[in-house]
Amino acid sequence: MNSNFNCKTCASADQKLETFISNLSQETSHHRMEGQSVKCGFGLQGICCRLCSNGPCRITPNAQKGVCGATADTIVARNFLRAVSAGSGCYIHIVENTARLLKKTAESNGVLKGKQALAKLASLFEIDESDEHICAGKIADLVLADLYKPDYVKMELVEKMAYKPRFDRWKELGILPGGAKSEVFTGVVKTSTNLNSDPVDMYLNCLKLGISTGLYGLTLTNLLNDIMLGEPSIRLASVGLRVIDTDYINIMITGHQHAMFAYLQDRLIEDDVIAKAKAVGAKGFKLVGCTCVGQDLQLRGEHYQKIFNGHAGNNFTSEAILATGAIDAVLSEFNCTLPGIEPICDELKIKQICLDDVSKKANAEMKPFVFEEKENQSNEIIDSIIESYQTRRGEITLNMLPDHGNDDTLTGVSEGSLKSFLGGTWKPLIDLIVSGEIKGIAGIVGCSSLTAGGHDVLTVGLVKELIAKDILVLSAGCSSGGLENVGLMSPSAASLAGPKLRAVCESLGIPPVLNFGPCLAIGRLELVATELAEAIGIDLPQLPLVLSAPQWLEEQALADGAFGLALGLPLHLGLPPFVTGSPVAVQVFTQDMLNLTGGQLIIDDNAQSAANTLNEIIEKKRKELNI
Amino acid sequence: MKRIIIDREKCDGCLNCNVACISAHEEGSNFYTVNLGSVDSETRNFIKFDAKTGYTPIFCRHCDEPECVLSCMSGAMEKDPVTGHVKYDESKCAACYMCVMNCPFGVLKPDNKTRTKVIKCDFCEEKQDGPSCVKACPKQAIEVKEVSR
Repeated sequence: MNSNFNCKTCASADQKLETFISNLSQETSHHRMEGQSVKCGFGLQGICCRLCSNGPCRITPNAQKGVCGATADTIVARNFLRAVSAGSGCYIHIVENTARLLKKTAESNGVLKGKQALAKLASLFEIDESDEHICAGKIADLVLADLYKPDYVKMELVEKMAYKPRFDRWKELGILPGGAKSEVFTGVVKTSTNLNSDPVDMYLNCLKLGISTGLYGLTLTNLLNDIMLGEPSIRLASVGLRVIDTDYINIMITGHQHAMFAYLQDRLIEDDVIAKAKAVGAKGFKLVGCTCVGQDLQLRGEHYQKIFNGHAGNNFTSEAILATGAIDAVLSEFNCTLPGIEPICDELKIKQICLDDVSKKANAEMKPFVFEEKENQSNEIIDSIIESYQTRRGEITLNMLPDHGNDDTLTGVSEGSLKSFLGGTWKPLIDLIVSGEIKGIAGIVGCSSLTAGGHDVLTVGLVKELIAKDILVLSAGCSSGGLENVGLMSPSAASLAGPKLRAVCESLGIPPVLNFGPCLAIGRLELVATELAEAIGIDLPQLPLVLSAPQWLEEQALADGAFGLALGLPLHLGLPPFVTGSPVAVQVFTQDMLNLTGGQLIIDDNAQSAANTLNEIIEKKRKELNI
Repeated sequence: MKRIIIDREKCDGCLNCNVACISAHEEGSNFYTVNLGSVDSETRNFIKFDAKTGYTPIFCRHCDEPECVLSCMSGAMEKDPVTGHVKYDESKCAACYMCVMNCPFGVLKPDNKTRTKVIKCDFCEEKQDGPSCVKACPKQAIEVKEVSR
């Protein structure tokens, strides 16, 4: 029982965090779970429709159609496509802003830290240009031109980026996406009142959105950011609440748009700014990582060692990070910026600034990021954060958790850095898979949630089961935040792996869970999978590779999931995505998808049995490959 | 003795009690998998709506003087002297539906599919933490309370 509230906080895989939160005097999401524990059965099954004033209609044994005649199958499909459209819109917003920033950076001859990423995309897009700024500008133009196409004009970069067997299959199925922004629009129109009622058409539409989301929103966002901010490189880093250094003015960042911080984070370590911090008694400024943009900074941390102090935790750790009292400002530009941080910020006088109005918090100052005004804007932000530091630090009691997390999380893993680590070729990894030293690969992706046992409980439980079966785990998303804070990304976690995987990890000095960073890096996992398949000469569904978003949280995760299914990969979810009220949905996702793309949805909230199922799939695929 | 007590003022008509009841009586099901798309799925509780009084949860009261038991000729309906719950034994039921006709609250009904048995609240006696409907109500419009008799 929580000592300050009349409720129990929910469990967390992270025991230290669980205890810390249960003793807080501030209310967090972990406190609110109990009050929200009674769920609506119709909502869970996706059979509640609020599309017109005759509703809300729910499918019951005595009322098997909505007033309009919509069946459970139609209602579920409409709700699902709406959610996937919204999720896709979120990622497309991110890649649009990132491409626009790259274009402006290129036009103003700004710093481009990632030469390899630039060369990679230039070659992929067949741009022959020696001037790096002109080249970067052309890349941005091509991306933006695709995003802005109407839905009836296919995007041109899809064929250049997608693995050929996949592209051919998508073409056959008629799911090659038109302009990514227009596709979101179509998804919304299709699912409005008394429009589309064909569930299969709507699920194919979801796959189409999955492709545009995955290739543009995920893969390209990473690579465009790499051009501006530098490529990831492998290193050990500190993680958890221990990374907060009270001697500094601390800024917690939340969101998904790393490039928006690019200028500011460099500015914060310039002498005149450090002098300003020193004048008020601090040693300087530090960025404290939270949510996916924190993961992005951690991933590229090699380039930001001076300003970035480490990743403190995932979305549902954000309230706890603020409750330490040592954060002086929150800079947010996208989700997952929980509304729950607002009262904590008010109480602890933490300045909130939003850089993008799509994530405007009710009590935050809105400061829309404008590239041309970044110098002035950054100075204003710095001054207001210094003011916040001055007014609050003397009077706020700090509540630190210095023994939380660890100092040896392996980070900076990407499609590029991993390949370099392996000696510039995938052959060593393929050999290990063929010999069975590594039985297969599981991409553990997506969010953190407080369901399925509690905060990160299923994610951590499943990962432990998988590595014990000699399955190498690659992670991307808020799931990474939980996995690293409990030590599964530290080299010593090799002892938790099965004997074969353990030996591999120990000989290489790596953990059995490799951290690719933010949810955006699901795009990097796709690159790894594609390059592996290409090297072996097979299609993606043949790889002994499974995906799991054990604790998927939001609409974006559903769009990611649609990408995974379009890629033809088995996809495990801990909880169903509000579709189980429709027999057609269940049939399409768990059976028919195998014939459409090769993908398959597996729902299981039990770590052990889910791991067994994924293990069986991997073993079956190995058998089919005769390895 | 424990009874389900309703507070109609709090009821929003969300029907979650129906979902919970159907799920509790469908083997191996949960809120995600319970079959809501078939008339064979039966709820033992009901929400009645009328424009004047709003929503009224209709639940078996396990009456002190149960008309269903008094009118049952085959001994299928029985009042448990310890728990006070009115129990229904399907194997003894002759499907005469005298209980259905005599229930003053209209809560008993023949099953939709076969019309050979009565659908009747069993207070989820096999569940240690009490009736499923009560646990599923987001408004606490139905509660288990200790009553004197």
